[in-house]
Formats: sequence, C-alpha cells, structure tokens
Amino acid sequence: MIGFAGLSHLGLNYSLATAAKGFDVVAFDPDRELVERLRAGNFPIEEPGFAELHGQHRLRLHYTADPADLKMCALVFYSLDVRTNERNEADLAPLRALIDGTADTLAPQAIVVVLSQLRPGSARELAARLAARPEVEISAFYCQVETLIFGAAVQRAMEPERFIIGASDPSQPLPAPYRRWLEAFGGPILVMRYESAELAKIAINFFLVSSVSTTNTLAEVCEAIGADWKEIAPALRLDRRIGPHAYLSPGLGIAGGNLERDLVTVQGLAAVHGTEAGLVAAWQRNSTWRRDWVLRKVHREFLDQASDPLLAMWGLAYKADTHSTKNSPALELLRGLRGLRVRAHDPVAKIELSEFPSVAIGATPLEAADGADALLVMTPWKIYSGISPDEAKSRMRGRLVLDPWGALDGAAWRAAGFTYHRLGC
Amino acid sequence: MLTHLNPSPLPPARVVILGARGFIARELAAALRAASIEVQAISSQEIDLSEPSAAGRLQSLLRADDAVVMTSALTPDKGKDTATLMKNLRMAEQVALALAARPTGHFVYISSDAVYDWRQPLISEETAPSATDLYSLMHIAREQILTAAAAAAKVPCCILRPCAIYGAGDSHNGYGPNRFIRSALADGKIRLFGAGDETRDHVFIGDVVAVLALALGHRSTGVLNAVSGASISFGELARRVAGLVGPTDKPVAIESAPRSGPVTHRHFDPTALLRSFPLHRPTSLEFGLQKTWREMTIGR
Repeated sequence: MIGFAGLSHLGLNYSLATAAKGFDVVAFDPDRELVERLRAGNFPIEEPGFAELHGQHRLRLHYTADPADLKMCALVFYSLDVRTNERNEADLAPLRALIDGTADTLAPQAIVVVLSQLRPGSARELAARLAARPEVEISAFYCQVETLIFGAAVQRAMEPERFIIGASDPSQPLPAPYRRWLEAFGGPILVMRYESAELAKIAINFFLVSSVSTTNTLAEVCEAIGADWKEIAPALRLDRRIGPHAYLSPGLGIAGGNLERDLVTVQGLAAVHGTEAGLVAAWQRNSTWRRDWVLRKVHREFLDQASDPLLAMWGLAYKADTHSTKNSPALELLRGLRGLRVRAHDPVAKIELSEFPSVAIGATPLEAADGADALLVMTPWKIYSGISPDEAKSRMRGRLVLDPWGALDGAAWRAAGFTYHRLGC
Repeated sequence: MLTHLNPSPLPPARVVILGARGFIARELAAALRAASIEVQAISSQEIDLSEPSAAGRLQSLLRADDAVVMTSALTPDKGKDTATLMKNLRMAEQVALALAARPTGHFVYISSDAVYDWRQPLISEETAPSATDLYSLMHIAREQILTAAAAAAKVPCCILRPCAIYGAGDSHNGYGPNRFIRSALADGKIRLFGAGDETRDHVFIGDVVAVLALALGHRSTGVLNAVSGASISFGELARRVAGLVGPTDKPVAIESAPRSGPVTHRHFDPTALLRSFPLHRPTSLEFGLQKTWREMTIGR
C-alpha cells in the first residue's frame, strides 16, 4: 500500500499514476469536501488523463480525510504543491503543517518521501524535524524531485525521464518498497544528497528559463529584421549541443509560477552567500518585457487610432490544457487594458469578473469574437486552431489578429484578409 | 508604473504650477484652464525658488487641497556648472520646506529622462537612475529631496520623466524636431551629425500635458516616463520634416556635419504608461510634426 498526503495537483497526479501501475493507494487530504469530490471522480484541476485513470483504477484508490489510514502504508509520499506568494517566494508552512499533523500516524518503519517542491536546505530541515519527535518512528526520509508540467503531468508521471532522489546518505541502497515503486515506472534512478537533489530541480528550471529567454530575445530580433524564428528553430534542434527537444518556442515570458519561484530562490541564495546571479535579473526583465508584447502591439497597431474598441480575447489560462491562471499573460493583459471593452473565452479557466469590470465572457470563441475590432489569442488552446478565419471574419468588425504562439494558421488568416502577427516573425 | 489614488479621474480643486514661464507650464496651464480647472501659475519673477525666503512665500499661497506641479529648473542652456546645480537644488529645498509646512493634496515633479545613463539602449521605470553629468545629478537629487519631503508630509507624490519634448512653444533649440523645423523654415536646410543614425524617442508636448492631466486627475503616485515609446533615427526624422514642405516651396536640403561622438541609440519601454493610462491616445509623430510645423509657420 502506497500513501499520498496532500492532494493538490502533484498528489492527485502521482496517486493516480501509482494506482495505474498496479499499487493500492491511500490518498489523504485533510479537506473533507475535496475528498468527497475525488471519490466521485470530480477533480478540481483540469489535467488531461485524470478522469480516464480514475475511471480505470478507482478500485485501487482509497481517498480519505482520516490521517490514520496512512498507517497501512509502508511508503508515504508528501505531495502537497508548494504555493508561492505575489513575490514568487515559496511558502513551505502548509507542507510543514501537513507533515507535523500526520507524522505520528505513520506506521513504524514507514519510508517518507517528500515530492513537494523544496528549496535547498528544506529536506534536511524537515528530516531533522521528524527525527526530533520521539513518537515518529519512520525508517528513512527522502526527497524526490518532480518536474510536473501542467497539461502533460500524467504522461510525464507514467513515463519519467529519470528519478532524482535526495537522501541523507546517497551511498546507501534504497529500501525495497521504494525501489519497487520506482522500478514500476522505469527510467534511470539518480540518488544524491538532499541539497543536490533540491538544486537539480532548480538547475532544470534554470536551463529552461535560459532557453526561453534566449529564444524570446532572438525571436524579437526576428520580428524587427524580417526573419522568422520558425525557420531558425529546426537548425538549432539539429545542433547536438542544443538538441531535438530543446525549448525553442517563443512565448510571452515565463509564466505559471514555478520557474519564477526558482529564480527568486536562487536570487535569495546568491544574496545570502555572496554569489553572482545578475543573470537572473536579466531573465526576469526579459520575461516582463516579452509578457507585455501584446499590450504594446495592440496599442501600436490599433488602439492608438481606435475609439471605444471591442477586443476579443481567446484564452485566459497561462497555457493550454490547464485551468491555471497563475501569472497568466492574459490576465496581465486584461489589467493593462482596464477600462477597454473585452469579450473573452476560455474552455476551462475562469476569472473573477468583479476584478475586470469591462470584461464580458463569450460562451464560444465565435461569440467572443462577435463585433470585435481585434482578436487576441492569449492561450494556444487546440480548439482555436480549428476555427475558420472566414467564419471569424463574418463575425468580427475589425481585421487585426495577434496570435503570439501561432495557435492559428497565420497564412490562412492572412489570406482571409486579416492583419496577422505572431511572435518571432 | 503609477498607483492611482483616484481610480476614476476627478478634477483637482486647484493646480499650482511652479515655473510658470516654462514650456510645459504654459501648455499645462492652458489645458487645465480650458478644462475649467483653477490654476495658480507662479513664475520665478513672483517667487524666486532659489532664494531662502521662497519657502515661506510659497507656503503662504498653498491650500491643503492644492495639487502642486513643479516644472521649475535651470536647464543646461542656462548653465552646466556647479553653481547652477546648487541653485537648482536650493529650489528643490525651498519647495520641500513649503510642503513640510503646508502639506498639499498632491505633488508632481517634472524630472527628466536625463536621470538615465545615456548608454542604456532600452529604458523603463525599472532602469536605475545614474548620474552622468551635473544636470542628471540635479534631477536625481531633486527627485530624492522632493520624494522624501512629500513622504514626510504625507503628500502623494508623482515623478514624471519626459524624454525629449517637441512642440512649437519650446524655446530650447535642441537637436531634434524643433531645431530641424526651425532650420528648415529659416534656412531651407537641416544639418545632421553624420548620417543621423542615432535613434531617439521624441514626445509631443500635447502628450506630456495629457499625461500630466491624467496624473493630476487620478492623484497618481510613483514614477512614470512620459514617452512616445517609438524611437526614430535623426536621419529619418530630418527626412520627415523635409517632407512637410509645401509643393510650391523650395525643397529642404539635408546636410551632414562631422559627428563628435559614437552612434548611440535610446528606446523607451512604454508599457508602464500604457498600463497606467490605458485610454491615453498618444499623438503620432506625423501629426505632431505637422502641428509643430504649422504653428511655427504661423509664428514667423
């Protein structure tokens, strides 16, 4: 029996994946209402594959709000997502509270693994915290680095690229229950000291940020000189030093919260230890600048000459296949356009309309486009690519389309008479 | 980025403009009066802010619900030396003393893009000010003096940093639209340094006044660059000015003089301006140049 404590995105994803690998799962969260919803297969998070896995493996899943049920588990994962504040600083207090409130219910000799996003130094601190409690008799404490991606979480859990595990003594073999669980998923297992594992997660995100920032910097140069980044990216993928899976799509800066959190974490570490991290501020600046691409573009191309315009916005989530609007460029744009009329559509994400009094919601993408002077595609949901430009043309008043990610077929929209712009071109 | 104490703009009870004879002050006073807003424009002839008695005289004029706009400054054409710097700082000191003695409802300081290092190619409000000469040092020091004084007196404070302003009423003849138009009208020629490759942002006076009026109406606090957000090379600018000549007039010649320094470029990120005032519609360079040309022609 495998236990999961904390059923936010991370815990839900791994409890489902663990059940799918044939293990019986105790999935605990102190929120009784949430547990009732989960028992009914009603997930609070939009994630492709959740409903299917639940449907196929629900008999192996025991959702509970009673921490005593974790006593049945030889291996317990703490899987609460670590939230960040408005300054992108991680708040570990809820995770500490969860561990403090459940540790004495764990089975003697239980193996504890923290899946949550830890900043360097936290795993050793949490291990010491548990070791200081004589009533807690766990046998081992590990942290496991997760690189969960919204919209691709299930696939990444079921087919992991590798496991990164932080241990108090990496030279010691992993205990059998943990190793059996890891081997059920396959993939290389990398065991290292706690601090290395915690920093490995940040290192992965830093390389992602550097790719995103480099791409965005050069994509903007493309826009200025008449080059097209889409033509350049394949050449980079064929370079062995960059690689076929490199993150080379231009975007509206860094969003979602996790990458920003790691940047802030390293800035904090650099400040404390006196290491040079000026690069991080440059990335942050570049991210903010690119985030506002649509705002500057819509003013320059259109708003400066328009009176009382209506803007259609397709997409509110920070990326496709997620309900999350954390650090979403769409919401930042709405704040920048306050006072202007906007009609928005998103298949999943919701916004608090009281925060955006001049925004209305369209039930369908075309309803949102009705009578609009310009169309802004702020989340590249697949459904938008299927919309005919001729149909949109018949509904819209204006002919400007800003599609930063290229969710639409630019050539078709241009052929239909639209002035079409995307990033990197 | 500014924070608005009035989410919807409200007309100020009265606007006190310091430096009444200056270009910005005259245009602002005219715009406010046209909007039926009471204006008290004070020139250096009425109160010389560099005199030690200025604070007392100024505070006796101020009311608690006034918005004060300080445009007064001795610009580099009046002197670039230490004496000018110190005189400018004394002016800020006197205004700070007046605010301390008689807090007002709002205070706006018209600073300058000179606070930024001219070697920075892309500037936003996040760019750290850096003194490269006594004039930039003066504005940086004044911003600090006045911000601290306003904070101590609990007066909401807004710092506006315009880039190069153009418009017919500007008496300065800096390298850019005003000089190009005047020289085209007077001599039928425009003289560039080199090929005029340097790019700069030029903001129309009407836009600076519009942004000021919005900041006054919203009782905005914080720092904002008053810019167009679109830089242009001096060469292209000269060609656009030359293109304003009428079909029957003599064409304007564009000449080149030796360049003394390296080619530098300066762009401004307008995002904070767009976010602060989403409904502000800046004047296009084409329209701004035409208007300036027309008004300068009438004035000849």
